[in-house]
Amino acid sequence: MKWSFKGSIHARLLVAASLVLSAFLGFTGLALDKAFRSSAEEALKARLQSSVYAILAAAEEDEAGRLSLPKILTDPRFNMPDSGLYASVIAPQLEFKWRSASSIGLSLSYLQMTEAGQSRYQMTETPNLGRLMTLSFGVVWEDFAGSEISYVLAVAEDLRPHLEQINAFRNTLLLWLGGAALLLLLAQGWVLRWGLQPLRSIADELSRIESGQSDQLSGHYPQELIGLARNINSLIRHAQARQQRYRDSLGDLAHSLKTPLAILQGLADQKQETEGPSRVLDEQVSRMNQIVGHQLQRAAASGRNTMVKMLLVRPQVERIARSLDKVYREKDIDYQLEISDKAGFMGDEGDLMEVLGNLMDNAWKYGSGRVRISGQGIGEGLVLTVEDDGKGIADDQIVEVVQRGRRMDEQAPGQGIGLAVVEDILKAYRGALKIGRSPLGGARFTILFSEH
Amino acid sequence: MRVLIVEDEADIREPLVGRLEQEGYTVDAAADGREGLFLGREYAIDVGIVDIGLPVMSGIEVIRELRKQDKHFPILILTARGNWQDKVEGLEAGADDYLVKPFHVEELLARLNALLRRAAGWSQPVLSCGPIELDTRTQSVTLNNAPVELTAYEYKVLEYLMLHAGEVISKTDLTEHIYDQDWDRDSNVIEVFVRRLRKKLDPDEIYKPIETLRGRGYRFVLEKTA
Repeated sequence: MKWSFKGSIHARLLVAASLVLSAFLGFTGLALDKAFRSSAEEALKARLQSSVYAILAAAEEDEAGRLSLPKILTDPRFNMPDSGLYASVIAPQLEFKWRSASSIGLSLSYLQMTEAGQSRYQMTETPNLGRLMTLSFGVVWEDFAGSEISYVLAVAEDLRPHLEQINAFRNTLLLWLGGAALLLLLAQGWVLRWGLQPLRSIADELSRIESGQSDQLSGHYPQELIGLARNINSLIRHAQARQQRYRDSLGDLAHSLKTPLAILQGLADQKQETEGPSRVLDEQVSRMNQIVGHQLQRAAASGRNTMVKMLLVRPQVERIARSLDKVYREKDIDYQLEISDKAGFMGDEGDLMEVLGNLMDNAWKYGSGRVRISGQGIGEGLVLTVEDDGKGIADDQIVEVVQRGRRMDEQAPGQGIGLAVVEDILKAYRGALKIGRSPLGGARFTILFSEH
Repeated sequence: MRVLIVEDEADIREPLVGRLEQEGYTVDAAADGREGLFLGREYAIDVGIVDIGLPVMSGIEVIRELRKQDKHFPILILTARGNWQDKVEGLEAGADDYLVKPFHVEELLARLNALLRRAAGWSQPVLSCGPIELDTRTQSVTLNNAPVELTAYEYKVLEYLMLHAGEVISKTDLTEHIYDQDWDRDSNVIEVFVRRLRKKLDPDEIYKPIETLRGRGYRFVLEKTA
């Protein structure tokens, strides 16, 4: 149960507030019900008490000085049969029995023997009158002979109207409290929604940043969230700036390492020897160059970064294709782009250019006239295919071709580390490279950047 | 052929200048972008080599500025970083090819040769017009498949005329593209070279490969055959 709303502040608040609200309304209902019931009971008892006094007041003495009750009492309910209000008087010593006109033919079982001066309230269930509330009241009456005679007066009232009243009250109470609860729950839901709206919008914006549609939180937030939004923004900026600084210093490092290498290479070339020290120098320079190039490239590959804008692939492919057309003008490559306009890359522009540049350069270099580049986004992932109509790569050479520093075709000029660079960048993005044969006849390179 | 080199590193620039001169190029060298831009604007440059990481003014800006001022000679960029962003940016700015440092001089020479041919509309390294064939890689000339011995300057003149076969080339053009700036332009050495070329390439006066247009210049008239 606990985990089910752990994930959402909204759900937590809603559940907690609803529990508190129902408990509060429940107790209120109980208290009101109890208060009403006891006051109704008190009123009933008071009514019974006054009826007893009214009977006593109506009583007269006969010639022996004993109690005598009139046939008709002032309260009309005593005079109508089955009216719901009954009275009776007995004196066990005298075998005296009196009952009101309303209770003619009924048993006197509701009457409780009570000592003089005592009142006893009792709830009784009678077979023919239903539930009754009875007040039995004992009195001692001295007759003219001077002997004390004990009488018991009993007044009983049908409980049905009383219970009905309580039920009616309960129904009304339930209706009103229920209505109030419903209204309060609705209001509370709306208040929560409204209150949490800024959190929701910050979450929306963050997911827009994640999907690359935006690169900063730009909305207006309430006081409590301004600090958070500002911190997130500066975190994003900071990460971008750090990445940029890192790249710049790697670029500077590359420049400052490669310039001396170029000088050494120039020295080696000056001798124009095919043997001897300058050949060794030449070999070592090219080895160092490959190591420097490869390591710097690997260090610069930033990997998938959710805090960057999504980069559209097609324009980058077009830029590189135009550039390659210039470099390989004589080959007059007829290239075909099958890239959906929406295909996007979540990462650094430099990394994408490096991957595309190396693969497309290979295609232009080894293809004999036709190149096809296709690409499409799969969710947040991306699949790119570069194919040419060159000689292709034999199956047993595929592993070798990726090994850095190897060139399958020594005739085509190249640094030979291109595919190794592509592999390294893909590794940083947890992507994959697949080499196969294209229907065009040559090699087919498929790269996959996965969604997560 | 006149080459412009813009490279701030003297240890790279100087050997390169020496090697290019040895290969028969006329070389103008600059150590920073501004000077390079000046040379590119003022002289009849046939091909440029521009380093991207230059002080004062970046190589990209130099190229952009040259293109803006209608200088269309082919340009090869040198990049130390060797990343595709730099390469593409350079090519988009107007460069025609790139080379990543460190590079082999031989490779640079091959690229320059290709750029020069391409700019003149030749797709093969061997320029072939009728019975005359000129191999830009070996700088050798044959007439009906028999080798013809030419001096360095004779070769330069013939190469320029053949690259621009069919076009009228003034004496000034030839002088500017072939000699250093301090050469005496008023001398009649060009006429001497052309006369010698005619003698060597057409001893029997059958083909008449080089036509003289009075007051305008020369034209290589044999049809391109490859």
